[in-house]
Amino acid sequence: MTNLSTKAQESHHEDHGIGRYVAVFAVLLVLTGVTVWTGEMNFGNWNIIIAMAIAIVKASLVVLFFMHLWDEGPVNRLIFVVSVIFVGVLILFTFGDLMFRIPGLLPNFIQADDVPKVMHAPHGGH
Amino acid sequence: MAHSNANVAVAVPDGEEPKLPAVSFWNADYGIKSWLLTLDHKRIAIMYMVLTLSGFLLGGILAMALRIEHLTPDETIMGANTYNRVFTLHGVSMIFLFMIPAIPAIFGNFFLPLMLGAKDVAFPRLNLLSLYVYVAGAILLVWSMAAGGVDAGWTFYAPYSLSTPAELAPALFGVFVIGFSSILTGLNFIVTIHTMRPIGMTWMRMPLFVWATYATSIIQVLATPVIGMTAVLTAVERLFGFGFFDPTRGGDPVLFQHLFWFYSHPAVYIMVLPAMGVISEAVSVFSRKNVFGYNMIAYSSLGIAFVGFFAWGHHMFVTGQSKFDAGAFAIISMLVGVFTAIKVFNWIGTMYRGSIQITTPFIYVCGFLFFIVFGGMTGVAISSVSLDVHWHDTYFVVAHFHFIMVGATIMGFLAGLHYWFPKMFGRMYHEGWGFTSAAMIILGFNASFIPQFLLGNMGQPRRYYMYTPDAWALNVASTAGSSLLAFGFIMVAIYLGYAIFNGRVAGDNPWGASGLEWKTTSPPPKHNFDETPVIDEDPYTYRKKGEEVEHVII
Amino acid sequence: MSSSEAAHSAHNPYLAHHFDTMEQQDHAARLGMWLFLATEVLLFGALFLGYTVYRWMYPQTYQECANLLSIPMGATNTVVLITSSFTAAWAYHSIKVNQIKKGLALLAITILFACAFLVIKYFEYKHKFDVGELPGKWYSYEGLQAPGANLFFAVYFLATGLHGLHVVIGMTVLSIIGYRTIKGRYHSGNYVGVELGVLYWHLVDLVWIFLFPLLYLI
Repeated sequence: MTNLSTKAQESHHEDHGIGRYVAVFAVLLVLTGVTVWTGEMNFGNWNIIIAMAIAIVKASLVVLFFMHLWDEGPVNRLIFVVSVIFVGVLILFTFGDLMFRIPGLLPNFIQADDVPKVMHAPHGGH
Repeated sequence: MAHSNANVAVAVPDGEEPKLPAVSFWNADYGIKSWLLTLDHKRIAIMYMVLTLSGFLLGGILAMALRIEHLTPDETIMGANTYNRVFTLHGVSMIFLFMIPAIPAIFGNFFLPLMLGAKDVAFPRLNLLSLYVYVAGAILLVWSMAAGGVDAGWTFYAPYSLSTPAELAPALFGVFVIGFSSILTGLNFIVTIHTMRPIGMTWMRMPLFVWATYATSIIQVLATPVIGMTAVLTAVERLFGFGFFDPTRGGDPVLFQHLFWFYSHPAVYIMVLPAMGVISEAVSVFSRKNVFGYNMIAYSSLGIAFVGFFAWGHHMFVTGQSKFDAGAFAIISMLVGVFTAIKVFNWIGTMYRGSIQITTPFIYVCGFLFFIVFGGMTGVAISSVSLDVHWHDTYFVVAHFHFIMVGATIMGFLAGLHYWFPKMFGRMYHEGWGFTSAAMIILGFNASFIPQFLLGNMGQPRRYYMYTPDAWALNVASTAGSSLLAFGFIMVAIYLGYAIFNGRVAGDNPWGASGLEWKTTSPPPKHNFDETPVIDEDPYTYRKKGEEVEHVII
Repeated sequence: MSSSEAAHSAHNPYLAHHFDTMEQQDHAARLGMWLFLATEVLLFGALFLGYTVYRWMYPQTYQECANLLSIPMGATNTVVLITSSFTAAWAYHSIKVNQIKKGLALLAITILFACAFLVIKYFEYKHKFDVGELPGKWYSYEGLQAPGANLFFAVYFLATGLHGLHVVIGMTVLSIIGYRTIKGRYHSGNYVGVELGVLYWHLVDLVWIFLFPLLYLI
C-alpha cells in the first residue's frame, strides 16, 4: 500500500516543502499592502487597471502554488482556464451590447420620476 | 475482447432460444432499499427513466390542454390566466424535468460505463445524489404548480417575473436545484470519460455517443451555474426587492436575458447533442457500416458545444440589444448550422451503400434527420436579424424550437429507447407496433408543427390563449396533428410496457451491433463485465477498410 | 498494470471497488474537484457580470459607494483570509508528511481565522443595516442619494453574502477533514481528501482577492 501511494505521490505532486508556501504568503501580504496603498491614491481610470492587475497576480499565485495548479496535469489547468475564459465571454458579449446600445435604452438614462414605482401587470389577459 | 462467458457477443444460432441471464442487475438485490440506496449506475438510470418520463407525461398532458384550447379562436376550455400558467408549466416540465436530464441521465448513466468498459461511473455516490437533487428540484417545481402555478413563461423574463402576483420563488429555486443535479451528472461523466477508460480505450476509440455525452457534460458544467445564479437573483429580487433587474430601481432587465440565455441557449445543445450521439450509434448499426467521418462527428460535437456559448444573443434581437451584438450573435449562430450539417452529411454518408436494416430505431433516425435539417434550416433563417424581427415571439419560433427540441430530441430519445431496449430489459418489443407508432409520431409531429410555421408567418403571436378567426383552420390542423402524436406516444408506452414483461427474450446482441455494451449479457450483470475488458479495436467494426458491404438489392 | 500490483491495490482500504488503482482514483477525485471549482468560478462570474454592468452604468455612484465601505475592515479581512489560506496549505502539507498533530492544529487555526472573518463581516453588515446602506428598495442612507447606489449595495450584499456562505461551507468542510484526521483516516498514505477540502478553502480566498479591490478600493 505504502509502495503504491508513494508512487502516486511522485507521479503527481513532488513535495516542495513549506518554503514555497511561506514565500507565496509573504508576496500575497505585500501585494495586499500595495493594493490598499495604490487604492488610496487617485490615478483616475488607471485605478481599476492597477487594482485588477494586482488582484490577478495574487489570484494566480494562489491558484498556481496554494492550489498546486503549477503541478497539475494539463487537463485540470485547461478546465480552470476555460472557466475563467467563459466568464470573460459572458462579460465581453454583454458589453458588446451595453457599449453600443442606443443610450436612451439604458436604465441609467431613465429618471426615477418617469416610471411608476410599481409596475404590477393587471391580472388576466390583456 | 477477452471474455470467458460462452454466449457473449455471438448471435444466437438458429433454433436455439436465447435465455435471460439468471442474475442481472435487475435481480441482483431485492427490496425497495436496494433500489433507493443503490450505487449501481444502471439502477440509477432506470429510476431516472421513471422520473423523467413522469415529467414528460405531465408536460404532454399540459401540451394537449394547450392545443385543445386552440381548437376555437376564443376561450375553449380555459381563460387567459389558466392558459398562461399551463404554457409555463408545459415548458418548465418539458425542459427541466424531461428534456435536459432525459438522454444523459438515462442512456448516459446506463451506457456510458458499459460503452467505455468501466465498472461504474467515477463517483457512484455523487450519481445517486444527483438523482435525489433532481427529485428535490422536481418537488419544488411541482409544488409551485400546485400552489397556484407560474405564469411568467419558462423563460421568467424580467421585469414581468418580478411583478407578477403568481408565486415564482419555488419554481425559481426548483430550477436552481435541478441545475445542480445537472451539474453533478455532467461532472461525473467528464471524470468518468477521462479516468475510467480501460487500457486500449483511447479517445479515438470511444463510441460517438460517448463523445456527444462528453460535449454535453462540458456545457452542463460550464453553463448551468449561471442559470442557477440567475434564478437565485430573480428569487431574491422577488422576495427582498434588491432591484437587480428592475428598471424602476435602475436595474437592467436586459441583463437578465443575457444571463438567462448564456445558459439557456447552450441548454438547447444539452438537449440535442445526446440525441445526435444516439443517432450516430443507431445509424451505423442499422446501415451495417462503420460510421463515416468518425473524427468529424466527434469534433463537431465539441464544436457545437463551444460555438453554442457564443450564440445566446440571437434570442434578444428585439430587446433593444445593440446592433453590434445582434450582428455578431447572428453570424456566430449560423456557425452552429455548419457543425450540424457536418454531422448530417456524415450520417448520410454512413447510410450510403450500407446494407440498411429497416427497424423502428432506424425509422426514428430518418425522422431525426428530417427534423434536424428542417428545424436547423429554419434556425439559420431565424438567426438573421431582419427575419427574426418579423418572426420573433410568433408561432414560427414555437414551431422552430419544437422541431429541434421535440422533433430531433424525441426522435433521438425514442431511437435510443428502442435500440437499447433489449439491452436494458433483456426482451424485445414488437416491431410491427414499433413501425406503426413511429409513423404516427412522425406524421403527427409534422401535422402539429408545420401549420405552426405558417401561423407564425401569418403573425399569430405565441403565449396568447385566443387568436384571430382567420387562423382557425391551421390551428385545428395543428391540434389534430398533436392528437395523432399523443396517440403515438400512448402506443409506444403500451407496447414497450408489455414487452418489458412479455416480450420475446432478446439475447445478448439482437442487432448484431459492435459496441462494448453488447458484449455483456442482456440485461447486464451488476458489475457490468466479469473482468475489465481490453479493447483492441475501433468501436465500429461492421466492415474492414476497403471491404464492401453485403448488399441486398430489392 | 501487473497482476501482483492489482492484487496489491485490491487490499488498499481506501480504494473504491470500481477503480483499479489508487492513482486512478486520486486522478478522478482531483479532476472532479477542479470541475467543481470551474462551476464555482462561473457562479461568481454571473455576479461579477452584474457588478461590471452596473459599475459601467453608474461609475460616479460606484466611486462614492465604495468610499462608504471601511477599507481597514476590508483589508484586515483580506489579510485574515490570506493567512487562513496559508495555514490551510500548511495543514495539508503537514498531514501529507504525517505530522498529524501539527496538521490538526493548523486546521483549527484556519477555522479560527474563518470565524474572525465572519465576525468582522458581521460588524460591517451591522453598520450598514444601522445606517440603511441596503440593497434595492431597502436603501435609505441619507448621506448618498444617487441612482445606482441601491444597486451597488445589491451587488455588495449578494457577492459578500454568497462569499460568506462559502466561508461557512468551507469551515464545515475543514471541520469534517479535521474530524476524519482525528479518526485516523487521513495521513501520508491517504491525503487526497484533505487536498480537495483545502482546495475549496483556497477558492474562498480567491474570490475574496477579487471582491476586496472591486468593492472597497475602486
